[in-house]
Amino acid sequence: MSADRPPEMPESAADGTVLQKRVDRRLALKILAGGVAAGTQALGACSPLSAATDQEREVKLLAWQEYIKGNYRFMTDAERAETIARLERLAKLKRAEDVAIQSTGAQPGVVFGYAFNISKCKGYRRCVEACINENNLDRQAATQYIRIFEMEDGVIDLNEADATFQHEVPAEGHFYLGTQCFQCADPPCVKVCPVGATWQEPDGITVVDYDWCIGCRYCVAACPYWARRFNWSAPEVPVEEVNPNQHYLGNRARKVGVVEKCTFCIHRTRQGRLPACAEACPTGARVFGNLLDPDSEIRWVLANKRIFRLKEDLKTEPRFWYFTD
Amino acid sequence: MSRARVAVASLIVVAVVMASGCRGHRGGRRSARSPRADTLLSPAESAAAALNATRQPGALATVPAAPVELWTGPGKRPFEVATRTSEEDAGHARRFGSITLQTALRARPLGQYPCTSCHLGRKVVMAEKRIADAHQNVQPEHPKRTGALCSTCHAADNVELLALENGERVTLDETYRLCAQCHFAQVDAWADGAHGKRLDGWQGRRVVMVCPDCHDPHNPTVQPRIPFRAPRIERTRGHGK
Repeated sequence: MSADRPPEMPESAADGTVLQKRVDRRLALKILAGGVAAGTQALGACSPLSAATDQEREVKLLAWQEYIKGNYRFMTDAERAETIARLERLAKLKRAEDVAIQSTGAQPGVVFGYAFNISKCKGYRRCVEACINENNLDRQAATQYIRIFEMEDGVIDLNEADATFQHEVPAEGHFYLGTQCFQCADPPCVKVCPVGATWQEPDGITVVDYDWCIGCRYCVAACPYWARRFNWSAPEVPVEEVNPNQHYLGNRARKVGVVEKCTFCIHRTRQGRLPACAEACPTGARVFGNLLDPDSEIRWVLANKRIFRLKEDLKTEPRFWYFTD
Repeated sequence: MSRARVAVASLIVVAVVMASGCRGHRGGRRSARSPRADTLLSPAESAAAALNATRQPGALATVPAAPVELWTGPGKRPFEVATRTSEEDAGHARRFGSITLQTALRARPLGQYPCTSCHLGRKVVMAEKRIADAHQNVQPEHPKRTGALCSTCHAADNVELLALENGERVTLDETYRLCAQCHFAQVDAWADGAHGKRLDGWQGRRVVMVCPDCHDPHNPTVQPRIPFRAPRIERTRGHGK
């Protein structure tokens, strides 16, 4: 699927149909949806045997409209507003959640970068906790985007590192290194997606359209950093714990059979805030900022500290650096 | 005619009463000597405290910030200092935070601050035993390790102030100037953004936390903790593992 494809089909009168208007598959489905909606309503109105309430009918209609919508990348602003209105309504009807879903775009002149101080990190996993709460991660499957590795001083070997430590930290003679999605500049996960459900935004964040993903998990296999997570079951988040501040490409409700990943908290960072992990870190090990701003803190760290990246030889150009004091 | 005279007279009386009331409130020795925690807050600070009380633990808030004069950030940009609001994370360290920010941030009543509630008009006896009695929350690890005395950092004749090596006195708002006298590498990294934390986001006004927000000045080493729960899935090592 080419990124240059215009959002609407071209209006060529030469090969027009009987209706003098080209009807693509999606438009046809939409027209059909109108018919189904009318039919459902009519059925509900005239059949006393139908147990469907108004609410159930509305859910069905919205779910159907959601089912036939397009890829987020090729939606017009009006279509994006429509789908967001539907998703918010569905959240209310199905799960009694009052959520606000953004479609905030990338800021011009911004590419996000992250730096992680392995001298400072003490392995408290406060970032993990904040990430789970902020991004509405599945509590049932205990999904975590961030992983903190405990390693012995002097060696960086992720194969021998312990990510499941559960003792008082920092442990003597050990240091800690956190991984998450590195938002590669040349992301292999995007290349392998057969349906164009994942792509890189202009500010460098690789996102997933959860409603376009077919769950093939090619991207999970392609990522050299194990940054992606697959929903083997329908994610469960208690209603009172749901973060209502959501983004279409970020922390909105996911469903079973789709892939999700860290988006540098796209709903926060595009509004100038820090990602939840950086904000929660009690040691100040996480530095986040705009790589295109020469006066930013992240640029100072990259210019003045000893830095490295993981698996740099793969040439995926991660925008996530590690540094030491 | 007489009615107007009465009105003027009563206005004057009211004005005099108000003026004397104000003077008494502001300049009275009694209020200065035994200030209570709630009266220390300005209206803006009370509002900030009320706001902070409603926040989730771990949340950061926009708080009154003070410009840093001696250091500049990356790109020679000025920046400001503030403190975080989390009870859980800042904990005891906040007690030693800045005067204005501290009072604005703490929802619960203040502990031993201000120092003048005990120390006013009395000579401060800096004996170890007395300190242990009066300041049970202070764990003097840092002075023990470095051989510093109380008066190395605290102004002996004015307990509200900190004493720099050059004789200058600074308030608790400028703790970073005190720390910078020895920890110059850390302060340089702090000013440029590699050490410490930035509040309010990556964009716009740069407001950073100050040293005592994370480090207890008397026991600055970060203490061990139990981490958040471990991941359930250990890792992926390809197929079959």
